[in-house]
Amino acid sequence: MSGALVASPASRPETMSLALLAPLWRFARGLFWLAVVLAVAEGLIVLFGVRPYYVPRPSVVIGAILATPTPYVQGFLRTLSETLLGFASGAVFGIGIGVLFFRARALRELVFPIFIVSQTIPVIAFGALVVLWFGNTLVAKAAISFYLTFFPVTVNTLLGLEGVDPRQEALMRSFGASRFKLLTHLQLPSALPQIFVALRLASALALVGALVGEWFGDTVGLGVLLLQGMYNENVVAIWAAIAVCALLGTGLYAAVSMIEKWLVFWGAEQ
Amino acid sequence: MSATADFAAALPRVLGSRTVQRGVLGMVLLVAVWEGVARGFALPAYTLPAVSAILVNIVDSWAVLAPAASYTLTESLLGYGVGSLIGIALAGLITLVPRARAAILPVATAINSVPVVAWSPLILLWFGIGIASKVVMVALAVSFTVFLSALAGFDRVDRRAADLMRSFGAGRLSVLWRLRLPTALPLIAAGMRVSTVRAIIVAIVTEMLGAYDGIGWVIYQAVLQVDFVRVWSAIFVASAISLAFFGLVSFCERRLIFWT
Repeated sequence: MSGALVASPASRPETMSLALLAPLWRFARGLFWLAVVLAVAEGLIVLFGVRPYYVPRPSVVIGAILATPTPYVQGFLRTLSETLLGFASGAVFGIGIGVLFFRARALRELVFPIFIVSQTIPVIAFGALVVLWFGNTLVAKAAISFYLTFFPVTVNTLLGLEGVDPRQEALMRSFGASRFKLLTHLQLPSALPQIFVALRLASALALVGALVGEWFGDTVGLGVLLLQGMYNENVVAIWAAIAVCALLGTGLYAAVSMIEKWLVFWGAEQ
Repeated sequence: MSATADFAAALPRVLGSRTVQRGVLGMVLLVAVWEGVARGFALPAYTLPAVSAILVNIVDSWAVLAPAASYTLTESLLGYGVGSLIGIALAGLITLVPRARAAILPVATAINSVPVVAWSPLILLWFGIGIASKVVMVALAVSFTVFLSALAGFDRVDRRAADLMRSFGAGRLSVLWRLRLPTALPLIAAGMRVSTVRAIIVAIVTEMLGAYDGIGWVIYQAVLQVDFVRVWSAIFVASAISLAFFGLVSFCERRLIFWT
């Protein structure tokens, strides 16, 4: 960023286009390495004669997806919408509760232990109950994603808000900033890097929640494809579903990271 | 990926001393409201059974729940041990042989890019529905978290301290054992503490897809028989073992890592 600020007006367009090209370049490089790894895997499997029951050749898996793309595309979209719904609501709720806990210490001390205990409940048992409560709907799966998402976001929001430099708060107070202004102009921006650490983690958890939720008798979704593959002992189908899951998970993670880069432009927490 | 470390560091801080009383009060309130709502509105068991009914059911079906709990705990502990060892060993290997980083890190990241539960159908087909598949799944889930925190810990060492030891003729192995491991232990322990709850949940999730025994199997059977009080009993027991396991690991951590 400092480079862009110091750059003369003449060189600015160049910097801009470079900044836009960098992610594309990284994406292309990632694809290239993925292709290399898949080719090496293919070669090793043929070379050592690994039985397809354990690891089928990548070309066979890709072929299986391309032969019948409809269930994979539908499953991808279905699981994606469940995950996004759960993730978004969990993030909003988590940040809101984090702010609330930050403001009301007594409330936090009353409720936080319950939150901690709630996280020890096996998600799949919860899944059975949620499907019973909400019916076999998209909302039921999103509810499980939500349940896994909100806790890390709450914890890190709280941590970020508490880590704000008290001198900065005192300075803003002395200029007459209201509590709301303090929150929106100082505390939340300072907490953003921490919040995004949790959001990156939560994006993976939200996907887990959606997948597990689909195991309770759904008909469309990546979790369903995994289960069908297992019941039919169709290892190629399982690998195909795993590959699509990896694609979805990596895509979500990358999307959250990109939003983070854009929003937390002053440098992210590692 | 310091999310796990932050996460772990947050718990003791957020759980201060005076807070314990309020925490207990909160729990009591929750149980009271739960009991009141379930009894007051006479909710059917499949919506929400009363806490008292669940506790009675736990006592009644103790003969089923206790062996199932110990079965699940065995699987989780085995997988937890194996996974932690693999994670620390891989991180140590990368630190000793920096060249290995280029090979191990991408493979580990690729495996981890798949949500862990997505592996379970495959692992069940490979290792059968006995105890082995659960141990593998738990090890898979635990090893990556421990690996990342161990790697961060080993890398955290002050270069000058390592250089000093080298200049006195210490080998790589000696630097790892005497300097890097003690420095990394707090982070490794934090990663292991976070993994405890995860280990038990993954074991239960895998059990529900296929098992001979265990909490997950009990839950699955209860769902099939539409016995939702039994589901809640199993959930309570699972939650209790998770908390006990978490408490035990935290206790060991405080005892062993006295220098932080």
